[in-house]
Amino acid sequence: MGSDAASAVSAVWRLESARLVAGLTRMTNDVGLAEDLAQDALLAALEQWPADGIPKSPGAWLMAVAKRRAVDHFRRAETLRRRTAELGHELEETHVPDLDAAVDHIEDDVLRLIFLTCHPALPPESRAALTLRLVGGLTTQEIARGFLVKDATVGQRISRAKKSLAGADFELPVGQERERRLADVMSVIYLIFNEGYSATAGDDWMRPDLCLEGVRLARMLAHLEPGEPEVHGLQALLEIQASRVRARTREDGTPVLLEDQDRRLWDQLLIRRGLAALERAERLGKPVGPYVVQAAIAACHARARTAGETDWARIAGLYDVLAEVAPGAVVEVNRAVAHGRAHGAQRGLAVLDEVDERALAQSHLLPTVRGDLLARAGRASEAAAAFREAASLTRNESERKLLLDRADEIS
Amino acid sequence: MRYIAFVKMAEDVGEPPAALVEAMGKEMGEAFAAGWMVDAGGLYPPAQSTEIRVTGGSITVTDGPYAEVKEVIGGYSILEMQSQQEAVAAARRVAELHREHWPEWEGSVEVRRISGPDEGPPSQG
Repeated sequence: MGSDAASAVSAVWRLESARLVAGLTRMTNDVGLAEDLAQDALLAALEQWPADGIPKSPGAWLMAVAKRRAVDHFRRAETLRRRTAELGHELEETHVPDLDAAVDHIEDDVLRLIFLTCHPALPPESRAALTLRLVGGLTTQEIARGFLVKDATVGQRISRAKKSLAGADFELPVGQERERRLADVMSVIYLIFNEGYSATAGDDWMRPDLCLEGVRLARMLAHLEPGEPEVHGLQALLEIQASRVRARTREDGTPVLLEDQDRRLWDQLLIRRGLAALERAERLGKPVGPYVVQAAIAACHARARTAGETDWARIAGLYDVLAEVAPGAVVEVNRAVAHGRAHGAQRGLAVLDEVDERALAQSHLLPTVRGDLLARAGRASEAAAAFREAASLTRNESERKLLLDRADEIS
Repeated sequence: MRYIAFVKMAEDVGEPPAALVEAMGKEMGEAFAAGWMVDAGGLYPPAQSTEIRVTGGSITVTDGPYAEVKEVIGGYSILEMQSQQEAVAAARRVAELHREHWPEWEGSVEVRRISGPDEGPPSQG
């Protein structure tokens, strides 16, 4: 029973901590204090649940305990203030906040908390750590394992972040500020997801699944901010990318290109959820941004049962849109690939010729794609030269071999 | 990791009280909003089910209802969690809600891990 109750406490914590910390931050207007109070409640649970059993509504139990601690805290502060005041001026009315009135609108509180943990005053890596800690309910140790850094590093990032946020506004931003802050929140969630997505295979089994946590945060955000197409776009993009996790690496950890993946390994439940989220984004009928467009591209691949059925014409059109809303050299290279597939290698090469080579000077991406398009255009010797150039630029041994093999095959 | 939770009960248990339906609706809504519930559904009774069974090299197809079935699956939910304990904590809430809003109800919530997408197929032991 003892260890059952202890593991139940940490499990309940993960499920409830966002709402708990969010509600307490609203009450106390201090995210650091809110987390301390929530942690106090967690300690009380670890003491009491093994003896008394798991309460009927564990979340409500934790909130009730944390609120009592909050009242104690403010009473102590109030007593101190009175004593100080008695020395000087007259007494004002009580400063203990009306905690019950503050527990309304818990959903808004969670949204406020996410805006706070992704605050622009914090460096990006601190935003991710604080979000995982306070919204995701992960421990400092789990976050450290997720990012492959030392526990102490994450601990410092979190405590510094909480200090920088003392006195930060817990109100929801409005207007253009809200749009900007929402973009910050989305990029933090995307960063968390990618940290898990780009992780090498064969990892420590204790490493928490940051992909899963990233998709979960995106789903949360979509429920909290349902009127914003980009939020659904982000969810759709992450659901569809996550659907390929099992297909995108071989057993030895080497990556498998999208076109070579065994599509039977794609997770159809996540694809369905991704397509549904994309539909929600499009149904809003508002202008869309990079997440919705990228999700629409991912959806084209997800809908194709074989690589040969891919609707490249539609993907090429979507890359044209993406190049407008999120210009960049990598987008242009991908646009060249799509046009090459959709409209012939010549058209792809034409797009590629416009790419600013300096932006990708140290990367093998440009010569790899050029080699592929040249090969498709039947220009064998130029293609072989491009593949050899790409091979000289990659730092990955198996990739270098793959590129040199292609160069040899063609010449 | 992905888990499926089945709610199992006697076949003749009857209709759930409105209070339970409401409480379960709220709980599920919150679980979807929190992002860890990815699918859920109720099942029609076994009277409307069909079993295709292979025995001794031949296939027999039998329509429900079936005699001598003690418990049937009434519904399922699919959860994405970092650990089995989290899935159990969520499933326990479902059991608590049944106990609270439908005192005469007896049954169980079973939590099973689903293989993949983060791993290969399970070894059958």
